[in-house]
Amino acid sequence: MTASVKTALTVGGRALQVTNLDKVLWPRDGYTKGDLIAYYRAVAKWILPHVQGRPLTLERYPNGIDEDGWWEKHIPRGLPEWVPTVKTAASTRHEQIEFMICNDEATLAYVANLAAVVLHVWYSREPTLDVPDFILIDLDPGEGCTLATLARVALAARDELATVGVTPLVKTTGGSGLHVVVPLEPRYDWEQAKGFAELIARRINTVAAEFTTLDRTIARRPKGTVYLDYVQVGKGKTYVAPFSVRPRDGAPVSMPIPWSEVEAMRRKRAKGTAAEMTRWNIANVPKLLAKEGDRWSKAWQPHRLEPVIAAARSLWS
Amino acid sequence: MAHAIWSGAINFGLVTIPVKLFTAVRTSDLRFNFLHKKDNGRIFNERHCTVCDEKVEYADLVRGYEYEKGQYVTLSDADFKSVLPEATQSVEIVEFVALDQINPMYFDTPYYLEPEKKGRHAYALLRESLREANKVGIAKVVIRSREHLAALKPNGEALVLELMHFADELVAQSDFDFPELKEKVAPAELKVAKMLIDTMSSDTFEPEKFTDEYREAVMAMIEARVAGEEVSAPETKKPAATNVVNLMDVLQRSLEQSKRGGAPARGKALASIKEPAAKKSASAAKPKRKKSAA
Repeated sequence: MTASVKTALTVGGRALQVTNLDKVLWPRDGYTKGDLIAYYRAVAKWILPHVQGRPLTLERYPNGIDEDGWWEKHIPRGLPEWVPTVKTAASTRHEQIEFMICNDEATLAYVANLAAVVLHVWYSREPTLDVPDFILIDLDPGEGCTLATLARVALAARDELATVGVTPLVKTTGGSGLHVVVPLEPRYDWEQAKGFAELIARRINTVAAEFTTLDRTIARRPKGTVYLDYVQVGKGKTYVAPFSVRPRDGAPVSMPIPWSEVEAMRRKRAKGTAAEMTRWNIANVPKLLAKEGDRWSKAWQPHRLEPVIAAARSLWS
Repeated sequence: MAHAIWSGAINFGLVTIPVKLFTAVRTSDLRFNFLHKKDNGRIFNERHCTVCDEKVEYADLVRGYEYEKGQYVTLSDADFKSVLPEATQSVEIVEFVALDQINPMYFDTPYYLEPEKKGRHAYALLRESLREANKVGIAKVVIRSREHLAALKPNGEALVLELMHFADELVAQSDFDFPELKEKVAPAELKVAKMLIDTMSSDTFEPEKFTDEYREAVMAMIEARVAGEEVSAPETKKPAATNVVNLMDVLQRSLEQSKRGGAPARGKALASIKEPAAKKSASAAKPKRKKSAA
């Protein structure tokens, strides 16, 4: 029976108790909870703009990534009173849940201390939780899908979107896939956002038919294809925040990357995709960010849908 | 050729007869698929987890028994197997009784037992001995992780395994209000009633005389539609382009509607996400927890 080893910490003027900093969460890499807290503090200034104002769901692994973790939407017990929260429901069918919102480095340290490896946030932010400010297509490589194929599909997405005047952003999920993101002007509703995401996914499926699938049933997806998931957009739905860590060997990070990296992936011969994605991880991301900053911050251009749909009607019919 | 539920054996004493188990009842042919009204697209059910809000595959499910509100004990397929290791895939006969000893209400569903090649002779022998002795075997059998009481009966060329309800599953007659056995019935009344039964009697029971009229009416309606109307084929994968056109129409209309009026709540124009400089996070610096319904 080990007593919890407590350490006092002051972050941004807030006093915190962090515990068991030496507890190993990544058994094969040796990264500890202390490392996780240090990571989130080190990347705070780049991750905060992506999570501020957005209801937060934690994916926690207090006993390490080999043990069961869980998703936590409702605020944890003992949440400090200086952390803002919002009570909302995903829809009238769902119950109201009180979510926490991470607006500062102290909150990042607090959730990392809860062994929240992954931070999941909404597609909208306070005070307008009903207005999405981006859409996302999840490129999920299936069994037998090579890195080159994944990259090819992502590039097809970029090129098709370019024809209708959209400049998308791309990040690794930290798992095996990629997220293609299109920032939106905050003036559309969920149906319009979902429709737009579906439109893009179907277009990619049309132009890259042999490399993609829209089939929601895993068993029916052709081998070696990328599953285009457009249904992750919606009220109450979440995505893995940029710079969030993943509970996988190597402690990979969901990393915004330049399209040139995707072009490089297109030329690589790797049979699978996950190994490549560990290139961005808990150990090197803080240094990379300090050197190059968040490329999404410079490239985040909110798009208006009307001209895009008009262009799509003439080009994509 | 039907697919066997399991391959196992009839067991009693030192006797083992290898058999396959098949359902003996096939319910009516009318099967419908759920389609989406607007485009006749097939609907598939997804399993959706209420905690992580994600789609879940069958392989990731486990059975949970709620012993207290919200509290579960989970059992895997291996757990179920471990509780009844001997009884799986075998019909264990425990005794033989005369058929008329058994209240027919106990009988539930019939299954066929078909012998493997090796067991054909023993199977025929058992069948004929039961027939001559006018008895049935009472057995325990496990089908699809549930244990059943069953009767093994000769029926034509087959040995039929008829599943039975357990005694505590049958609702007792005493739960209802039936007229008592010693209720007075006048002999003259009885005579008239018996005459009525006689006029409506037939010597043989011909089940083929009775059909499912509801099903026939539905099939007739379907056939009429197939012949008279165009069969609406659901969209196959090929016209992906058409789906895209539909989507664009829907989106365009929706955007025009928003423009005309009823625009959704405008979000604060987001400042393009800047790298915060030396200053601390750009959030409202309210120290108190802010509770707002959204």
